[in-house]
Amino acid sequence: MKILDRVFENGARSLAKRTSRRSLLASLGQVLTGVALMPLLPIDRTARAQEPARPSADEQSCQYWKYCAIDGFLCACCGGTSTSCPPGTQSSPITWIGTCHNPGDGRDYIISYNDCCGKVSCGDCFCDRNEGEKPMYRLSRNNDVNWCMANSESNYHCSVSVILGVAQE
Amino acid sequence: MKTNWRGVILLTLAAGASPAWAATPPPLPAEHLTIATVGPKSPHWIYVVDYAYDNEIDSRVWLFDGDTHRRIGQIDTGFIPGINISPDGRTTAVATTYFARGGHGTRTDVVEFNDNNTLSKTGEVVIPPKHAQTLAMLFTIGYSADGKFVYVPYLTPAASFGVLDPAKKKVLGEIDTAGCTLVFPWGPNQVSSICESGRLLTVTLDAQGHEASRTTSAAFFSPDEDPVFAQAVPLKDGYAYLSFLGQVHEVDFTQPKPVPRAPWSLVSGAEKGVWRPGGVQIGAVHRAKNQLFVPMHKGGDGSHKDGGSEIWVFDLKSHQRTARWPLDIRASGAVVAVQVSQDPTPLLFLATEKSHLLILDAQTGKLQHDEHHLGQTPQLLLNP
Amino acid sequence: MIRAAAVAAALVTCGAQAANPAQDYVLNCMGCHGTAAQGIPGKVPPLANALSRFMRTPEGRNYVLRVPGAANSALSDDQLAAVLNWLAVTYESGAPAIQPAPFTSTEVAAVRRQPLLSVLATRSAVVHNLAMTGPTPPPRY
Repeated sequence: MKILDRVFENGARSLAKRTSRRSLLASLGQVLTGVALMPLLPIDRTARAQEPARPSADEQSCQYWKYCAIDGFLCACCGGTSTSCPPGTQSSPITWIGTCHNPGDGRDYIISYNDCCGKVSCGDCFCDRNEGEKPMYRLSRNNDVNWCMANSESNYHCSVSVILGVAQE
Repeated sequence: MKTNWRGVILLTLAAGASPAWAATPPPLPAEHLTIATVGPKSPHWIYVVDYAYDNEIDSRVWLFDGDTHRRIGQIDTGFIPGINISPDGRTTAVATTYFARGGHGTRTDVVEFNDNNTLSKTGEVVIPPKHAQTLAMLFTIGYSADGKFVYVPYLTPAASFGVLDPAKKKVLGEIDTAGCTLVFPWGPNQVSSICESGRLLTVTLDAQGHEASRTTSAAFFSPDEDPVFAQAVPLKDGYAYLSFLGQVHEVDFTQPKPVPRAPWSLVSGAEKGVWRPGGVQIGAVHRAKNQLFVPMHKGGDGSHKDGGSEIWVFDLKSHQRTARWPLDIRASGAVVAVQVSQDPTPLLFLATEKSHLLILDAQTGKLQHDEHHLGQTPQLLLNP
Repeated sequence: MIRAAAVAAALVTCGAQAANPAQDYVLNCMGCHGTAAQGIPGKVPPLANALSRFMRTPEGRNYVLRVPGAANSALSDDQLAAVLNWLAVTYESGAPAIQPAPFTSTEVAAVRRQPLLSVLATRSAVVHNLAMTGPTPPPRY
């Protein structure tokens, strides 16, 4: 399954640039059917509606639980990890915040999505998820803006997701 | 080399050509290299903004002819640009960032002006290195209604906007917006920004482009219960802010200060929470026909950026849905941007997650053309 | 690198309360003002060793409640008062010598709806006046 996850993320770069994994599942399934192979997954055109995408424990997968409000390239695919920027880049001091559910222990965690800056787009593992994400007027929860904006080198390379603590309710 | 004339004649005859003694076509004349012209303007042209996510410093705009299905030409637009067209349609203004060494080095922000008749850059204004770099929308650069001012939102992360004189190519000043973001221009000298408090801040400028007064609207949406997209839909008399759950909050800008109207719904009770507007450019209006086109998808919380699998059409007077056009998005990808031409036989333009541009008859919903690869990540469509 | 330890500790110790100022800070303010409320030179003002000092005078308190992050924030008057009071205690190295009266939600409600026209100019004037009477926030950031 891990290989398939990677295929989705890598295959996505040539197929689609800004697509969540669910629509990729639908379209990839259709491609496989078209070449007379068994579809690996059921094809359901309404799958985007309610089917929860399968969570992943792989930090190079868009479905990794910490990435519930990430927008950009996963630094884990770019020479870094979900908690480290790739060599030669700088982390953004400003960031957006999400709250993600960890199915592993049933807790909600507050996550800081810093950007890593100073190099051109990583271009691998694009992932755009928006749980609890808000538009630009609610800046602390918005993942659209370039959070590298306040860095001396403000080009955007990739994004991390760092646990800050357990969310209290 | 000794020419084998017998061989040549045999070959020539074998190829079915006329014998050597019959006339061969004269050689082609030398050609002259020219620069293509943009040609007479058509209402079916569409400016397609490609944010080029995998190569973000390399964004560009394609001018595409919706009837001939050909690219007319390209405007280069730098890194995460704001793009808009002057009210007279003659100029494309671009607020963007360039780094001194391509991907790094000293950051310079500029507003570049491009002549839409030649697709050439005709001038620029250097602005402070703080233009708001964000999702594709019509509100990261804007013109006053008479074309005399250009407004550029700044984000450092403090929010403000710059006021420019496009004719003199000068920065006139900067207006602090107290955390409210983007620019929604109206009339000759009024600019609104949208606030976390659920209100619009409106600043009125004097003739020099400095602040004369400001006012705040009543709160008309709740950022917690049902946020509105910041990407408003321009109307004849103001802007409509669509919410994540499908409410339409029209705001009347023709009054002395913007006044929100009572919201109406894109969705029925049964559809609410199930069918939602979504994407990047989430609505377009045909002004003369009073129609609103919205890409709709089935999804839950967190799906507000999902592209649409259907286009829903609404009458802006009656607030009724007049058409519902399911799309086959398996090959083309879901719809992230919608725009409609303003002529009596309009075209509906749809940009998709897989970089297609779909062209539909905006009266029947019939697919006329599927342009397979118009850019890397086309997400904003302009039809002046 | 993010120094998240202090923030994480604050989140854990707060427990389940009606107002959770540490968490409200993290979710609504920390993204720009930083994990130690330190701001970013030239871009984002510090709250550490600053907020509590603004709170010493009526003019300073008025300023603090009308800055964009307060005036337009989605936090309720109660929540905003709690966050500001928590910040003033937690991120002031001169405490308890510097211990301003906490904000009440009444005071917050009365002031916050009038956002400042020119934040930097007002800040400059307020800091100038504060400097004459005691501990003051940094004049520039």
